[in-house]
Amino acid sequence: MQSNGMYDSQEICTLPNGPIRCIFFCEFHPTVGPIISCQIPENYISKELFDSISVYIITKAELRKSTITVTLDDYKILGFPVRIDDKKYPRNAYHFNLCFVCDSNSRTVHYEPVVMKFSEYLMAMEIESSFLSSKQCSKKLAPILTQVLEKLNTNGECALTEGPTATHLKVVKIHKDPIQVADHQVPVLVRSLPDQQWDLTTHAVAPYIDGFNHVARIATLSGVENNLVKACVQNLLYYRVVALVPLFQYGNVYCTTSKLKYLAQDSEIQDRCLRYVAKSPRQMPTLRDVFRMYAAMTRGTRIKDLCLRMNPSSMWINERKLVQFGVLEGLIRRVHKYPVLLGDSNVLQKTLNGSASLDEICCSTGVSGQQLEDQMDRDHNVVLLFK
Amino acid sequence: MEVNPLSIILVKSDSKGDRLLFRYPFHMQEKNEPSNARRRNPYTLPIVDDSLQTIPQPRSNINKCQLTGFTDEVLSSLFAVKPELCNRKFELKVNDVRFVSHPTLLQLRKKQLDTSGCLLINVVFALQALATHSVVKCYHDLSKLMGILLEHEETRCGYVNDEMQVMMTAHDDGYASNPDAAFLTILEKSILAKNLKKMYEDLCGTGLVNIRINRWIPLNFCLPQKVHQWHLQGKLVEPEDIDRCIKSLRPYHSLLLLCPVQSINDFISLDGSPSLKRMLTQYSPLKNLQTLATDSDLTPSHIFDLTAHLVYWARATVIYPICSTNKYVIAPEASLHLNSPLVDKFSELFQGMNLIRAISEFSLPTSLGQKCNPLHHPSQQSTLVQMIIWMLQNHLLLQLHTYIQFMIADQFVANQSESESISATRKMRTESESGTSTISEGLESKSEAETKNSSENFSYNSTDEDKHDYHEELLLDFTDEERSIIFKIPASNNTDDLRLFARLCRKKYFTGNHHIEEIMYLENLRRSQLLQLLDKFRDVLITYETEDPTIAMFSCP
Repeated sequence: MQSNGMYDSQEICTLPNGPIRCIFFCEFHPTVGPIISCQIPENYISKELFDSISVYIITKAELRKSTITVTLDDYKILGFPVRIDDKKYPRNAYHFNLCFVCDSNSRTVHYEPVVMKFSEYLMAMEIESSFLSSKQCSKKLAPILTQVLEKLNTNGECALTEGPTATHLKVVKIHKDPIQVADHQVPVLVRSLPDQQWDLTTHAVAPYIDGFNHVARIATLSGVENNLVKACVQNLLYYRVVALVPLFQYGNVYCTTSKLKYLAQDSEIQDRCLRYVAKSPRQMPTLRDVFRMYAAMTRGTRIKDLCLRMNPSSMWINERKLVQFGVLEGLIRRVHKYPVLLGDSNVLQKTLNGSASLDEICCSTGVSGQQLEDQMDRDHNVVLLFK
Repeated sequence: MEVNPLSIILVKSDSKGDRLLFRYPFHMQEKNEPSNARRRNPYTLPIVDDSLQTIPQPRSNINKCQLTGFTDEVLSSLFAVKPELCNRKFELKVNDVRFVSHPTLLQLRKKQLDTSGCLLINVVFALQALATHSVVKCYHDLSKLMGILLEHEETRCGYVNDEMQVMMTAHDDGYASNPDAAFLTILEKSILAKNLKKMYEDLCGTGLVNIRINRWIPLNFCLPQKVHQWHLQGKLVEPEDIDRCIKSLRPYHSLLLLCPVQSINDFISLDGSPSLKRMLTQYSPLKNLQTLATDSDLTPSHIFDLTAHLVYWARATVIYPICSTNKYVIAPEASLHLNSPLVDKFSELFQGMNLIRAISEFSLPTSLGQKCNPLHHPSQQSTLVQMIIWMLQNHLLLQLHTYIQFMIADQFVANQSESESISATRKMRTESESGTSTISEGLESKSEAETKNSSENFSYNSTDEDKHDYHEELLLDFTDEERSIIFKIPASNNTDDLRLFARLCRKKYFTGNHHIEEIMYLENLRRSQLLQLLDKFRDVLITYETEDPTIAMFSCP
């Protein structure tokens, strides 16, 4: 992603739920073997426990520079074994490993880059000034480890300026990869964009994300290349700033989901819903009207029909906002139409084979939905599947 | 796919040291071509690396779904765990591979003189690190199961020791230069190795493991995330999902087998539960679980357990019994396109029918009753039922149920005070509307409502005070506002209707948690009774159609 570095902002990366319980530094002592030389807080990992798992911490040569996580009954220990080869050491090599300890049920994947970076930093200090192998190592290391433990647990980031080099550690929450963004989808802001810190593309695109413009239209309006817009929206999707909803058309069909009951039960969502769907902030619609509108959404009822029947504007409801809120909260779901061409004919079967919805076909061919549907109605070989 | 194992590894450790006995698959790929094989463009500018800030690249130990980058010695040293970690869950993640196992400590049957007679045996599964907690847990269970079986066979006949000797000999017999050849010899000679191979293939294929340890003890295992085949569409069926589905089973649900009864009978082993066989003889998708329990002479709770078992092993699913009032639509996840294998299967089963055309009739909610024509031949009707059963088995259809929500006009009294004049007229309109009224009716309905109100008042005053008092009593636990609105509904004059309405309301059936069929079952009502009541009280009851969330998990996102 082109602009990952721009998002070191305060609120987007919230603190991951599993805190670091302990940080310890262990090394391979030339006579004693693997030992913990510095531990914050003291004696969190007992000597016996350490001995039983030391093979995964001071490892064989093949496993060095690998992230290794051992899950025990109570703890999860995450390390990154390092070996420095040099003639000056008693065994011609210096092994060390800096480990984070977490609760055994918490996720630790997001700490892996931090452990790696921290180890690299210590390695640089060792090569430059024999920081680790010197006698008073643990005295110098203890304040650093304390600082890292506290800062990472409270702020999620920490700056180390010990010695000649400096480094910055940051815990970045890992989300699932965002889905591919298609031309016909509509991004909706689900939280406000922080003012600065965005790259140029986002700056150009952001004003046009109003919850009604679809991706292709945003590209035209903002004068940014289509694929760049998609990448930008995908990026915002990753950081949970926007959500994607299907394009709103009055010919669309929606159906209720089993989550609709929460609208009647949960007063928090009721409050949000009424404020969101209101036509003007001065006059709130009633919950009953809103609920009735949602309940009337069935397969076979277009929004157009619904508006004619119930006249939402007389009930102070903005129907576009109503649909948007319903889709975002999962109260309703878009029913897509999939045309399938039966009978053995021609090239058309490639597009009309049931795997592409009407929306996708419209967007790729540039034909309006109504036109396409009229044409399909006339052809008896075309079957429309609603799902 | 992240549920498949990358490799199965068998490691032993005893007084003579640790050793990797066997692993499958063992065919190492030819040295993979160097990753920078792409020819460099001579005109590109060299990227100047900041040599002080080199970010270490995360290493990967997976190559084409196979485990790479570990020698046998490293693996054996990792999995020959210390005694403190034995007989409990062992989980180790190295880069992007997660190893999970249950190291088992067992007593050797033939105790050698110079040793303590203890042997550590560890069946390790290598998984992708992305595998979810529940997948890891299932693999741990399987490893634990293997450990228990091996321990039993060792105490019974020294099986593990014998197999171990076979494998060790193969390793020692001069194959050291070519480990693959040693593994091939082991695979020929050792039954345990063959078992592990079969286990790997089963896990990667169907998710159902069916092997016999030492040609004696059957090991049956089901990986639910795999066996339900939903992972193909990017969704995993977790054991917790199945548990939740089973917990919300009701006696009015029914069982739908996903394969013929005969194949399930074959699948049940010789010592399988006789009650399961009894239930299968009485099985029909038209029966609900309660009837099934009566017919097969078993307790309902036992039937529930058997259902849970069949659902977990992906042999059955749960539906609402097929009847003429059921409304079906196409399931949102249904893979319906011309190249789908289901299309051919369907036309094989039902001569001259086309799946796409047949299912397109369910684009709009359609009930069996609507599709049945009294003029049709009975055989056509049974074909129709067979077709619906087939579609349900393939998760192509979804049943819609009607849910009911009790809601009076103004829940937000605060709004009223804001602008009284507007809300006063609106209140009038909403009180009298019957679900489909539009604003154009506003004026008429206003006068209508007024006349209605006055006539009602009149009737209260003149006819019988007692009846009114009794009605008030029926609605005692409603708020004043609710009560006044309900009394404006003409049907509230009828004592029976009002009593039924109050009873159902009080039992919280009108909160969107129960569908019509459930209310019918629980309250012993007929559909027509309930539908009439809904119609009479439609001013305060809103109905909507959606799927039953408890049983729709197999066909819904």
